[in-house]
Amino acid sequence: MTTIFRSEQMTSCQLYLQPDAAYSCIAELGELGIVQFRDLNPNVNSFQRKFVNEVRRCEEMERKLRFLESEIKKDELTLYDPDENPDAPKPREMIDLEAIIDKLDHELKEINTNADALLRNFNELTELKHNLSMTQTFFQDAQQVRIGLSENAHEQNVDIDDQYSSTMATGMKLGFVSGVISRERIIGFERMLWRVCRGNVFLKQADIPDLIEDPLTGEKVHKTVFVVFFQGEQLKNRVQKICEGFRANIYPCPENANERRELAMGVMTRLEDLNIVLRQTHDHRQRVLLETSKTIRTWIIKVRKIKAIYHTMNMFNNDIARKCFIAECWTPNSQIDTLQLALRKGSESSGSGSISSVVNRIETNQQPPTHNKLNKFTQGFQNLVDAYGVATYREINPMPFVLITFPFLFAVMFGDAGHGLIVSIFALWMVIKENTLKKKWRTQEVWTIFFGGRYIILLMGLFSIYTGLIYNDVFSKSLNLFGSSWRVKFDDKTLLKSDSVFLEPNPTIYNHTTPDQYRQMYSGNPYLLGIDPVWQLSDNKITFTNSAKMKFAIIIGIIQMCFGVILSLWNHLHFKHYHGIFAEFLPQLIFLVCIFIYLIILIFYKWSTYQGKDATDAPSLLIHLINMMLLSYPDSPPSSTKIYNGQRGVQTALLLIAVICIPWMLLAKPIYTIIKRRKRNNHLTVTNPLASNDIEMKNHNADEEIDMSEVWVEQGIHTIEYFLGCISHTASYLRLWALSLAHAQLSEVLWSMIFHIGLSMNGYIGGIASFMVFMPWSSLTIFILLLMEGLSAFLHALRLHWVEFQSKFYKGEGYPFVPFSFKLILEETPPDS
Amino acid sequence: MKDDLFFNLDHGYAEGLCRGFKSGILKASDYHNLVQCETLEDLRLHLQSTDYGNFLANEASPLTVNVIDDRLREKLVQEFQHLRNVSYQPLSTFLDYITYAYMIDNIVLLITGTLHQRAIGDLLPRCHPLGSFEQLGAITVADTPAQLYTAVLVDTPLAPYFIDCISEHDLDELNVEIIRSTLYKAYLEDFYNFCKTLGGITAEVMCEILAFEADRRAFMITINSFDTGLTQDERAKLYPTCGHLNPDGLQELRRTDSYDGVRDVAARYPQYKVLFEGSGTNTGDKTIEDKFFEYEVKLNMNAFLRQFHFGIFYAYLKLKEQENRNIIWIAECIAQKHRTRIDNYIPIF
Repeated sequence: MTTIFRSEQMTSCQLYLQPDAAYSCIAELGELGIVQFRDLNPNVNSFQRKFVNEVRRCEEMERKLRFLESEIKKDELTLYDPDENPDAPKPREMIDLEAIIDKLDHELKEINTNADALLRNFNELTELKHNLSMTQTFFQDAQQVRIGLSENAHEQNVDIDDQYSSTMATGMKLGFVSGVISRERIIGFERMLWRVCRGNVFLKQADIPDLIEDPLTGEKVHKTVFVVFFQGEQLKNRVQKICEGFRANIYPCPENANERRELAMGVMTRLEDLNIVLRQTHDHRQRVLLETSKTIRTWIIKVRKIKAIYHTMNMFNNDIARKCFIAECWTPNSQIDTLQLALRKGSESSGSGSISSVVNRIETNQQPPTHNKLNKFTQGFQNLVDAYGVATYREINPMPFVLITFPFLFAVMFGDAGHGLIVSIFALWMVIKENTLKKKWRTQEVWTIFFGGRYIILLMGLFSIYTGLIYNDVFSKSLNLFGSSWRVKFDDKTLLKSDSVFLEPNPTIYNHTTPDQYRQMYSGNPYLLGIDPVWQLSDNKITFTNSAKMKFAIIIGIIQMCFGVILSLWNHLHFKHYHGIFAEFLPQLIFLVCIFIYLIILIFYKWSTYQGKDATDAPSLLIHLINMMLLSYPDSPPSSTKIYNGQRGVQTALLLIAVICIPWMLLAKPIYTIIKRRKRNNHLTVTNPLASNDIEMKNHNADEEIDMSEVWVEQGIHTIEYFLGCISHTASYLRLWALSLAHAQLSEVLWSMIFHIGLSMNGYIGGIASFMVFMPWSSLTIFILLLMEGLSAFLHALRLHWVEFQSKFYKGEGYPFVPFSFKLILEETPPDS
Repeated sequence: MKDDLFFNLDHGYAEGLCRGFKSGILKASDYHNLVQCETLEDLRLHLQSTDYGNFLANEASPLTVNVIDDRLREKLVQEFQHLRNVSYQPLSTFLDYITYAYMIDNIVLLITGTLHQRAIGDLLPRCHPLGSFEQLGAITVADTPAQLYTAVLVDTPLAPYFIDCISEHDLDELNVEIIRSTLYKAYLEDFYNFCKTLGGITAEVMCEILAFEADRRAFMITINSFDTGLTQDERAKLYPTCGHLNPDGLQELRRTDSYDGVRDVAARYPQYKVLFEGSGTNTGDKTIEDKFFEYEVKLNMNAFLRQFHFGIFYAYLKLKEQENRNIIWIAECIAQKHRTRIDNYIPIF
């Protein structure tokens, strides 16, 4: 029996797989994704399992593929997604695949090393080029100073101050070192030079204007050319050491201007040659990568599949005596035929079709996983339910009910047709553009949350439009769709005289009014749908809507809780816990009916019997409920006197029954357990002769012995929780009213404080002002009313379902069914990430 | 009390991060699995299932111990630097203080390296990244401690520690060790005082750890100096004075000249007595160094028992370093097929 109200029936299966066929069988099952394997060697280390070598080989391939992929991405080539889902390759194909990948990896690495060497050479030469051209200017500056001096003077004796002349005088030779250093190090470098050489050096520097690549790291950095002039060998050593320490690249720089020019020329030609070679290498690399980029995705998928298969096979039991693998798995009942077919297909494709694999159903006392058949519409709602706890196996799944009640409760709190319309349009856009949007912004967490819940949002929006119409709220304004039932028929004199006037349905009744002043203003037929728009103009709108919404909230809440309790009856019946019906379900339901359903009846009674004329005498139901608990029936004020004859008797009886329910629920289940145990003990003494049975039974009994005290405690907690819960949960449903009030008030404030400014001005200015205030009004509407209020209403609706509704029947102690499926595995790590 | 109230304002995030990192430290069961590994590949496979994740996944086979070591260190440095980047004062100063110890080690490493005629290019990669500073590479310029100070160290935070060493004349092997010890002594005392000024729980926790560190140095200096020609006075100058041994124990240590003498001194301090009693020099016994390490781990673990203090950052770094040493030890044992001593790691949990 498959039903949407419960999870699928699962079977525990044992698969006997031929070693040759196992691989292809698992591959078939992976494509189908219908079985969940159980790990049969939980105590074996991951590196001591049977197929650890294969897994390792796959990891090695994955590493190489990752390398190739990153190289492709570095060159900004597009990766082609495979058109079709490639099959998992056969084990022998794996070797070929390995070879191909290995070859490519090797080739690319070789190209890279070559390119790196060339590039380093190129970068060094570039630096040298800059070095030469920059130093050229230093020397030229010096040259100008030196005008008039003899030609054989050393060109590097370039100082501008008196040091120069003294050098010339003593005939000593100034040495220099030139090089390139990264710009951020130059300050430390200069300071260090100064300290170490005690100021006896002269540093000239010039920034290289554009970014150049560092020969060692290959990063683009700012660099500076420097020349250090010094005197003597010792200083030279030091300067060189400092250069080394600061990772400056030293380049030779000839002393003679002509030599420099020649060197520069040489460098230029070599650079050009290198450029050609580099371009060729780059082309070669591009060709290889382009070829790879076409198939790499397919390979990645293949390797991942192989890895998944071996990973699964590592969980199998290896029966050496019978030469087969034994696997244990969960599979839905409905899929067993598919499973068998897949195994047969797998055995055939592996070529060893002579002995096919065997599926053996086994009995187990383990709890099966919970598997709900879902579609894209129900998925989101199931997620809401599962976030609380995955349903116990075959327990009533609240999802189909939540599907409707969740958006409804949300809408009760969010009730505004205008806001609902915006939400629905947004959700509708997501739903219609589903296929194209699915692939977009996958990594944006907030977006994926919205997108995952698009159907929930759609329903929430549609329901909000409905409740908005009931509340007659559209952006806090009312719509007069069907024509209000009220007419203002005062003459101008009366209207001018007072700030506000009373509209009364039947003015002749009242003494203080005269018929000529107050004519009949109520048409006699109520407004067709929801609240009459005339309330929008009234001073006591909030008082009126509060009273109505509060009662709505109570009615909805109590009905939902009752429904929850009734669902628990369904659970009891399904699990054949017939005692649960009498020990739990009945007292719970009776309690709820006696007090809370009675309250609802009173609400409807009040609505239907009390008219406008006797509004002041209408009973206050809150006081009545309190009085019912206190068993007091006062004679005044009129709002708390009795509503109907025999009220006292009925209420006392109801209260009595409700109170009886408490010990009933507290005691019934433990007593039942005790009686059952005693019965079995009696039974045990009769069947004592069977020794083996006896031991078993005793073991069983020992368990029960411990359980007994736990049963008492548990039932005590359960009882207290339920009865107190009924009261607090009912009060908790008042949040439906509170949030709806807050939402309505907030949107009204937004309207009157912001948009109203524009609308209340006259003439052209009013038009401009309206234009100006529309922006803040609309953005605040979206951010505060739609997003924030929507989120808060969403969370409150969620809470009402988890705590108030599901606590009545839902255990949520199951664990989800996670089938072995290539699709899931590939989705888990999308190739884009 | 006030500090506790406002601690989370500035340092709550960093503390949370650090405690999160700490929960990734390998457990006894992880070590149990690690020592069962047959090859380094197994080791990689197992480390994958721990907090290390696939930090080795992009390394080509065959794996070497050096690669593992580099990656481990890289990971630790990354974590520490992240903590440093998100820290506020005074936590950032505290974290900087921790790095000074690595600077000292790096300086000494470079000087000894150049004494042995190694190229600076080979030495620099071996320096600990936490203790690297701009002028580090130029250390080879210096021939005398004075030069070292004026040229290199004067701009670094280590400068004040170095003043005591300037008198040394040459940079030979013994002097380098003396420089290291003097620097370390000054550093420890400074760090100790800094923690004192921070006050509160930080002071309580850190002073305990640093006092032990100081005592350990005093013990080790004494034990290692027996046949080196270091005079008693010279030796005494190197003892950090912020430990529990100060002043009486240090005086005693100054006078001893045998291992047994050291043991006698330690016997007066219950916490050290146990350590010396548990150690031995025979094969199979734990060395006193291992015992010290174990005690250090214990102190660092205790730091995590209290909240609202900086000690956990120090403790985390030290524990993680110990863990790295453990992994490397196990990896070495596996690589050299020397499995008999594989259990000699120091468990943290």
